[in-house]
Amino acid sequence: MHRRPRIPRAKAQPMEFLIISALNGVIYGLLLFMVSSGLTLIFGMMGVLNFAHASFYMLGAYIAYTIATTVDFWLGLLVAPILVGLLGIFIERYLLRRVHSHGHAHELLLTFGLAFIFEELIKLFYGDFPVNYAMPDYLRFAGFTIYGTDYPFYRLFIGFVAVAMFITLYLLLSRTRAGLVVRAAERLPAIAESLGHNVPFVFMGVFGTGAAFAGLAGAVAGAFFPTNPNMALELGVIVFVVVVVGGLGSLEGSLVASLLIGLFSSFAVGLDWSLAGLLSWVGLGDWARSVGGVFTLTLSSISGTVPFLLMLIVLLVRPAGLMGERN
Amino acid sequence: MRGKSLGLAMGVAMALGWPAGAGHAEALKIGIIESLSGAQTSTGRLFATAAQYVVNDINKNGGFNGAPIEIIEYDNAGGTTGAADKFKQAVADGVHVVLQGASSAIAGQVTEDVRKHNIRNPGNEVMFINLGAEALELTGDKCHFYHFRFTTTAPMRVNALVNAMKKAGDLGKRVYAINQNYSWGRDMEDATKAAAKTGGYEVVETVLHEVNKIQDFAPFVAKIKTANPDTVITGNWSNDLLLLMKATGDAGLKVRFATTFLDQVGNIANGGQTVLGHYIAHPYNIEADDKGFPEAYKAATGHLPVYIEPQTVNAIRTLGKALKGVDFKGGEVSVTEIAKALEKASIETAIGPVSVRAEDHQAILPVVVSKVVENPKYPVDGTKLGFGVVETIPGPKAIYPVQGSCKMDRPS
Repeated sequence: MHRRPRIPRAKAQPMEFLIISALNGVIYGLLLFMVSSGLTLIFGMMGVLNFAHASFYMLGAYIAYTIATTVDFWLGLLVAPILVGLLGIFIERYLLRRVHSHGHAHELLLTFGLAFIFEELIKLFYGDFPVNYAMPDYLRFAGFTIYGTDYPFYRLFIGFVAVAMFITLYLLLSRTRAGLVVRAAERLPAIAESLGHNVPFVFMGVFGTGAAFAGLAGAVAGAFFPTNPNMALELGVIVFVVVVVGGLGSLEGSLVASLLIGLFSSFAVGLDWSLAGLLSWVGLGDWARSVGGVFTLTLSSISGTVPFLLMLIVLLVRPAGLMGERN
Repeated sequence: MRGKSLGLAMGVAMALGWPAGAGHAEALKIGIIESLSGAQTSTGRLFATAAQYVVNDINKNGGFNGAPIEIIEYDNAGGTTGAADKFKQAVADGVHVVLQGASSAIAGQVTEDVRKHNIRNPGNEVMFINLGAEALELTGDKCHFYHFRFTTTAPMRVNALVNAMKKAGDLGKRVYAINQNYSWGRDMEDATKAAAKTGGYEVVETVLHEVNKIQDFAPFVAKIKTANPDTVITGNWSNDLLLLMKATGDAGLKVRFATTFLDQVGNIANGGQTVLGHYIAHPYNIEADDKGFPEAYKAATGHLPVYIEPQTVNAIRTLGKALKGVDFKGGEVSVTEIAKALEKASIETAIGPVSVRAEDHQAILPVVVSKVVENPKYPVDGTKLGFGVVETIPGPKAIYPVQGSCKMDRPS
C-alpha cells in the first residue's frame, strides 16, 4: 500500500501553471510543426494540397515500428523517412504528374483517394488495433523535474527534432543554390526551365522531401503517441488547420501557427473559464449558471476546438493566414 | 425465362397444397449494423465475429424455425447517417433482429429508427439487441419494448470499481473524474459523484473533454496533479484512455486509475509498464472463466475472446435461449413473440447468470473488477501483463434501479 505525505490542497500556483502549460504547449506545437512542415513545403512550392500528407506520417510510424521491432530503433528513425520519401517521389512521378495538367482539383482528389488506400492497406497488413511501437527503455527517463512533475526526456527529443527540421529546411531554402532553384521553379517555372533547370525534377524532389519529413515525424512521434490505423485521421485535420492559420506555403507561418495552437490548447485545459464566469463580472453570473447550457461550458471541455476557433478568427482577419503572401 | 418457370412451378406446387419443405420455412434474419470501416473498425469487427460465432453454433444444432439463421453485415461507416441508411436497407432485406454495439450515438439513432418503424409497421416489427452502447438514456428516456441492452452501464461499472477498490484499500479519499464530453462520459461523471458517499471519498474535480480529438494529454495531467487525487476514475476509451495514462506515467504522477475500457485490444501493449496496477470494471474476464468457452472460441475464430466479444456471445446465446421457447412451426416469424421470450430468457455462464430485466430491458449480468498484473494465466497483447480478478460482482448486486424516465409501451 502506498501512502504519500498529504500535501495540503495546492490550488494552481500561477507560476507553476504558467511554466508547465507553456512547456507542454511549446512541445505539442513543435510536434504539430514537424508534421505540417512537409505539407506547407509541398503546398508552397508546388501548389498541391496534399490530403495524403498525414498518411505519410502514419506510414513513417509503421515503417519505423517494423524496423524497431526487428532491427533497431535508431535505424527505424533513419530508414522510415527515406522509404516514405521514395514513396513520395514515386507518387509524384507516376500519379500526380499525370493529373497535374487537369488542375488542382484533380490533384486534390487523387491525394484524397490515396489517404483512404493507405489507411486500408495499413489495416490489411498490421490489423485494426494499435501496434506496440515504443521508444527503447533507455530513452524512458525524466529530462528534468519541475514542481514535482517529471518532464519526459522524449518530449524534449520531439521538440529538438522539430527545431532541427525547421533550421535545416529554412537554411536549405534561403541559403543554398538548390533552394534558389526550387523557389525559382515555383515562382516562374517557364523561365526557370528555359534557364536549363529541370522543373519537373525539382518538383519531384520537393514532394519527396515533404513526404520524408512527414515520415520522420511519424517515426519520432509514433513511439510516443499510439501508432494505430487512425493516426492519420486524428492528426490530419489539425495539420491542415496549422497550415491555414500559418498561411499556406509559409514555413515560418507554420512554425508560429503550430506554437500558437499548442499553447492555446495547453492553456485552455487549465482555465475553467466559462461564459457564466465572464457574466459574473457584471453581476449576471448566478443567472447564467441557472440557465446552464452554453453559459456553463468550460473552456477546458472544448480545448480540442480551440485550434478551429483560432482558424476562424485568422481567416476572418487575415484570409491568407498569419504569414501568407497574398494578404 | 428459367427463373420464371421455376416460380410458376413453385406457385403450382403451393396451390396444390404440397407440404412446405424445410427450405420454404421463413428464416430468422439477423442484421449487424456496425462500424466495419473507418475509425472504429477494430471494435465493429469484433462484434460481428462474436455474433457470427454463436449463430454458427445455433445453426449447427438445427437453426431456428426449420431453417438456418441468416446473418447479414451492414457497414454503418462509423456514423449515424450511415446507420440510418443501413437500417432502411436491412428492413428492405427483411431483417428481424438488428445488432449494434460500438458507439452510443449510433445506438441512439438505431433505437429511434426501430421504434418508429415498429409504430408504422404493426405486425412487422424489428427488434434491436444493443451489444455495447452504454448510455443510460437507451434504457431511460429512449427505452422501448423492442430494445434490449446486453452490456453494463456507468453506475454498474463505477459502483463495482468503487466497492472493490475500497475493500482492497486502493481507492483513497480523493477522487478525480475525467471523461469524454458526450452521453457516456457524462453518465460516468454522474455515477462517480453518486458513488462518493458509499465509497467514502470526495470528488476533488471533474473534467469533460472532447472525444478522441486531443493528441496531447500533458495539460490535463498538470490539471490532475494540482487537484492531488488518490484515484482517477475515467470512462475514456481508445486513444483518450491510452494517451491519458501514458502522459500520467511519463509525468511520474502517482495516481491509481479506475477504468472501464482498458481491455480494448492493444491498450496493454501500448501502455506497457505504465498500466500495471490499475483497475478496470468489465462484464467479463477470461481469468474468471473456466477453460471451456475461451478454448472453443479460439478453435472457431482463431483468437481467445477479447474486449466486447464475450458480452456479445452472451447476448446472442440469450437470444438463442429465447428462440427455443417460441415455435412458429416453419411459418411466419413474429418478432414480438421473440421479444416476449427474450424478456424471460436467461443463461448460465462460468462467471454468473445473464438475464433481462423486463421493466427496461437492461440485462442483469455479472461485473468483474480486475487489476493489471504481471504473469497472469492469460497474458494479453503478447506482453507479460494481463487482468487479474479482484472481485466478481453477481448480476443482481451489480444492477442499478430502473430509471423513472423509462415508460415502456408493452404489446398486448
